[in-house]
Amino acid sequence: MDSADARPLQRFTVIEVNDTSAPLCLRLATSLAGKIAADLGADVLKIEPPGGDPVRRAPPFLPTGESALFQFLNTSKRSLALDLASDGGRNALSDLLAKADAVLFEEPASIAAMARGARATPIEIAAFPVEMAARRRPVSGFTVLALAGLLHMVGEPERKPLRLGGHQASYAAGLTAFTGLAAALAARDAGRTAQSVRVSLVEVMQWVNWKAASGADAAGVSPGREGKLSEFQILPCRDGHVAVVYTVTQWPALRALIADPRLDEPRFATRAGRRQHIADLYAIITPWFTDKTRAEIQSSAQAKGVPFGPIFSPAELLEAEQYAARGFLAKLGDWRVPQLPVQWNGRSFAPRPAPELAS
Amino acid sequence: MTRPLSGIRVLDFGLLTAGANTSAMLADLGADVIKIEAGAYLDPFRVVGKPDSNDGWWNRSPQFRFTNRNKRGVALNLKDKEGQRVIRELAQHCDVVVENFRRGVLDRAGLGYKELSAVNPRIVFAAISSQGDTGPERMNMSFGSTLDATSGIASLTGYEGEEPRISGMDVNYPDQIVSLFAAGMVITAVMEARRTGKGCFLDFSQREVASFMLGEEILAASADPGRARTRQGNAQDGVAQQDTYKCKDGRWIAVSASIEHPDLAAFCAGRTSSEAVAELLFRNIAAAPCNDGADLIKDMALAGVTLAREAGGGLVKGLPYRLDGKGIAIERAAPDLGQHTEEVLRSILGYNDARMKALADAGVTSTVPTVGEV
Repeated sequence: MDSADARPLQRFTVIEVNDTSAPLCLRLATSLAGKIAADLGADVLKIEPPGGDPVRRAPPFLPTGESALFQFLNTSKRSLALDLASDGGRNALSDLLAKADAVLFEEPASIAAMARGARATPIEIAAFPVEMAARRRPVSGFTVLALAGLLHMVGEPERKPLRLGGHQASYAAGLTAFTGLAAALAARDAGRTAQSVRVSLVEVMQWVNWKAASGADAAGVSPGREGKLSEFQILPCRDGHVAVVYTVTQWPALRALIADPRLDEPRFATRAGRRQHIADLYAIITPWFTDKTRAEIQSSAQAKGVPFGPIFSPAELLEAEQYAARGFLAKLGDWRVPQLPVQWNGRSFAPRPAPELAS
Repeated sequence: MTRPLSGIRVLDFGLLTAGANTSAMLADLGADVIKIEAGAYLDPFRVVGKPDSNDGWWNRSPQFRFTNRNKRGVALNLKDKEGQRVIRELAQHCDVVVENFRRGVLDRAGLGYKELSAVNPRIVFAAISSQGDTGPERMNMSFGSTLDATSGIASLTGYEGEEPRISGMDVNYPDQIVSLFAAGMVITAVMEARRTGKGCFLDFSQREVASFMLGEEILAASADPGRARTRQGNAQDGVAQQDTYKCKDGRWIAVSASIEHPDLAAFCAGRTSSEAVAELLFRNIAAAPCNDGADLIKDMALAGVTLAREAGGGLVKGLPYRLDGKGIAIERAAPDLGQHTEEVLRSILGYNDARMKALADAGVTSTVPTVGEV
């Protein structure tokens, strides 16, 4: 980049269409992809229905009444309200698409056919793979996690399957759509015809969950949630919880850290043995955590090369020393927000506030 | 059609998922990816997935083969001065470096960004690490599941009011998502390098990527530090009713409903999972079976483009998206250790028989592990 405030995508124009009918989980994915491009300098114009993107009214909320979800997902964009049910609205969109480099939109949108035929490269966000022929099926981020096998992986084997916190299916699809968008812009930039991109949440999350597929293929049985039978468990400590995580090669270091002679028993010497006696193993190590803080546990574990993970809440991350040192949390008005998780020659991409609804 | 990254060459030091998968995504877009390993230091996936102890075990790990298809494989000892020299020479012919070593490993080998950009100013150097390249925790040890904990995701995952949960070793969620973003950033930087002739150092923190996936929660917490977040099970703010329910056939289904249905558990208990899902969808309520890995490899419509087969028939990773409506063909299976060392060094660097023999005799190149018993 030529100057300190130049941004790498600043010569590109991207239209993001948030039509009225798309399910929330798709809108979040589209908006995240557009946000990343906008923070990287692309001119991203968000087309909203006259009442605004419904995400403007989705939780969690800021004290001002604005949606934190909307604010996070729409930084650095411009906004334009268009009634795409009217000829005027569709004509205006058509003009915009003729001048743009790429268009982000959702599969069920009324303007999907127009977007697919535009000069701008179409980047389409859908719920399901084409082959499922399920275009109109009701969907949520949660049912996507179920189909993709991720719910099956979290929780206790005898209890119900659990979702991961946040909007993981939508956001992972948003990252994927951003990479597809970057590939399209690179092709156009090199004077080539860009390939259209189609991202489905169900495919992205299966791709993320590939170890379930590879495990089932190799062993004939799928891996699944192991809960209290897992080698990695969560233990309470004085001021919260810690994830006990260690690889096979880190077992001797963990043993040295806890320093309980019972861990030297032969039944714990191999991974198979540890798995077989996992309840006993955890009964031995649990008391070591009880009277220590997360900070004490992390520093003594790291000193021995053991990757235990103290569990932090979003509020606690605002105080994380590592994040402060790297300037990861940028100011956004009165608040703070994660920036794009990359530094480019040591430089971060501070976002601009999300746009007001304008017509 | 010319693919988006045709003509781009990647020097790939990526290991396990986070690094190796980022370069795999670049390979799938048409880049020529050259994976560098050494007999003394294999991609740990070759060892983790070791199926047996017979000769050649290091070439049979399913996890390795799933992730490294469409790459060429070169074995060069990074700890050897001559190996380092060959790699610096190769870097002059590459556009991108991808690495996820512990911080400092490549610098100590004289193969860090400083040295490689000195021999090739165009190079885009993607460094992926758990905490990033700077800050007090840059040298911390971590594993994917550590980052579930330290990123905030675990704090919002768990049964109602109970302890936090991580995605676990069979998912290692934070290891999976980084490449979906890093690949796009590398492409962005390659565009910039083409335009300006200058590459850059891209510093990715996997912990930051995972926290970014909760951006709205961190923003909301900054506005209201007292905002209490406990585990909600499967419930979600703004959704009237959302949970998993067990059906008559013993299978669980997931349901998200915009109004409350107090009888939903009983409804599911009285029907098979497929009956319950079909009836709920018919009533316009989002519902789906909780599939497992066996379901994913059985149902090809569901799999879409996410799985592919190599020429030998083996199942490998496909694509997370489709380009012009298509998935990918696997042009080459994941490389055996050092399978393309000769081909790459001869064709790109013009090495001759004598040079190749000298490197082999000195143990700089190899096709078998020297790591001993694993």
